[in-house]
Amino acid sequence: MGISPNSAYIQGVAISVTWADAERSLPDLIFETVTGALSNAGAKMAEMDSVVLAAHDLVDGRSLSSMVTAPAAGAYMRDEIRLADDGLVAASLAAARIEAGESEFSVVAACGRASEGDFQRTSQTAFDPFMIQPLGLDEFSLSALRLSAWLQRHPGLEDSRRRAGQARARRAGSNGRALKSGGHAPNLWHPLRQEEAPCMADIVVAAILGPRPARVRIAGTGHSTDSSNVGDRDLLRMPSLAQAAERALSSASMQSRDIDLFELEGATLFDEAYALEVLGLAAPGQGFATYADGTGINPSGGGASGWCYPAMGLVRLAECYLQLTGQAQGVQVPGRLRAALATGFSPVGAQSHGAMVLVTA
Amino acid sequence: MQTPDPISKPITIAGHWNFEYRYFAGAVASRFFNEIKINRRIMGTRVPSTGRVLVPARSFCDASYERTGEWVEVGPEGTLDIFTIVAAKFPGLPDPPFVMGYVTLDGADTAVLNYVRGVDLTDIEAAGNKLMAKPRVRAIFSDVREGRITDFHFELIAPI
Repeated sequence: MGISPNSAYIQGVAISVTWADAERSLPDLIFETVTGALSNAGAKMAEMDSVVLAAHDLVDGRSLSSMVTAPAAGAYMRDEIRLADDGLVAASLAAARIEAGESEFSVVAACGRASEGDFQRTSQTAFDPFMIQPLGLDEFSLSALRLSAWLQRHPGLEDSRRRAGQARARRAGSNGRALKSGGHAPNLWHPLRQEEAPCMADIVVAAILGPRPARVRIAGTGHSTDSSNVGDRDLLRMPSLAQAAERALSSASMQSRDIDLFELEGATLFDEAYALEVLGLAAPGQGFATYADGTGINPSGGGASGWCYPAMGLVRLAECYLQLTGQAQGVQVPGRLRAALATGFSPVGAQSHGAMVLVTA
Repeated sequence: MQTPDPISKPITIAGHWNFEYRYFAGAVASRFFNEIKINRRIMGTRVPSTGRVLVPARSFCDASYERTGEWVEVGPEGTLDIFTIVAAKFPGLPDPPFVMGYVTLDGADTAVLNYVRGVDLTDIEAAGNKLMAKPRVRAIFSDVREGRITDFHFELIAPI
């Protein structure tokens, strides 16, 4: 597949990771981040003709949250679409509209402010009220169940698990965009460990997409959805993640070996590391080791740098953009980077996955 | 230290959602729960094209996208496939520590979530290591049943 006459390019991005900043409302944070993305793109809001926003009412504690958050992203008198889904899906939708010639320049924004609510508790309410809610599963407990299955097959890999955790913490410490103070870790269930938790934070991320040739082109996207019934899923194979990545790579006419940099989303360290095995980037049982030792694998520090649904897929994408354009600062991967793959997921328990391939133009 | 300007003092207000809903289980899930409540048995539904038995019973298979057919009794014994041990107190859940996990009941092709009781949790790491062996479990029904998923739990058939 060649370059579409209406290819979508990322013109600029901005990421804001804070905690309980009482000086700024959620719309304030969105406005400042979108303004930052416009500045990074060298563009003005007057050039934008559409907005795609990813936000979730339960996370934001506002019914129809996007009614107040969308104007902060520039929706006033613009063609605006609101998604209660992951930010990477919002980017995919904006890119599709640009490729179809429906939009010239689009603001994509996603937000989740963990300090205003209790994400772990509200995530319980997203599950089925008959079979799951009475038993209290939350977004992170799926990772614990998955890890128990992984440990059944791969016992005794304590050293690589510990090294992966250290590597993630080290990368987050070098990431100037990571949360520096505040935040908290959700209570994780055995066999997960607290140090494998994400750092809950207030996250807003924005990207400016358009057809104007820029340094990074969106070369492929993929999406896939697994069963809603967790008991039906193959928690280890994670077919929706594998399929989304395959589709993104296929639409970019690429293979995983062509990718220089991966930003893989996960609710916990284990989910980030295990994604490497699902995508065939690590041998079975070697996800933690590859995560610890690999170059160009979640150099951002993943969830340790800050985490809140539904912003994270777009954060992973923005981190890829910053790497490909040499703007990643303290976590910049050395050498020439030509292609990157970002993933994101949607609740419940990563039922749906999205993936996007970026290439330098 | 500067004296805070009261005009600039940030304002934070509390918020709370407490809406009421009425969830309809539908005919198939209603029978699933009523079978537990009245007959103390766990039922699945069979997928015509693949023969898979889905538990908990449901009206359609999302993988093959077709209506389910025959009702099939499964269990009451099965295998604890995956588990987690909850060591912190969560609102609405039992006092910790406790085990919950997905069990594939005999005759079923999918797993059902519930509490697993009777596990010595004095040492959580040690208990977790033992549960990795996928022990056999049995569904135990409550004396008083309300037609809820919590009308039963699992217990280990043999000590681990």
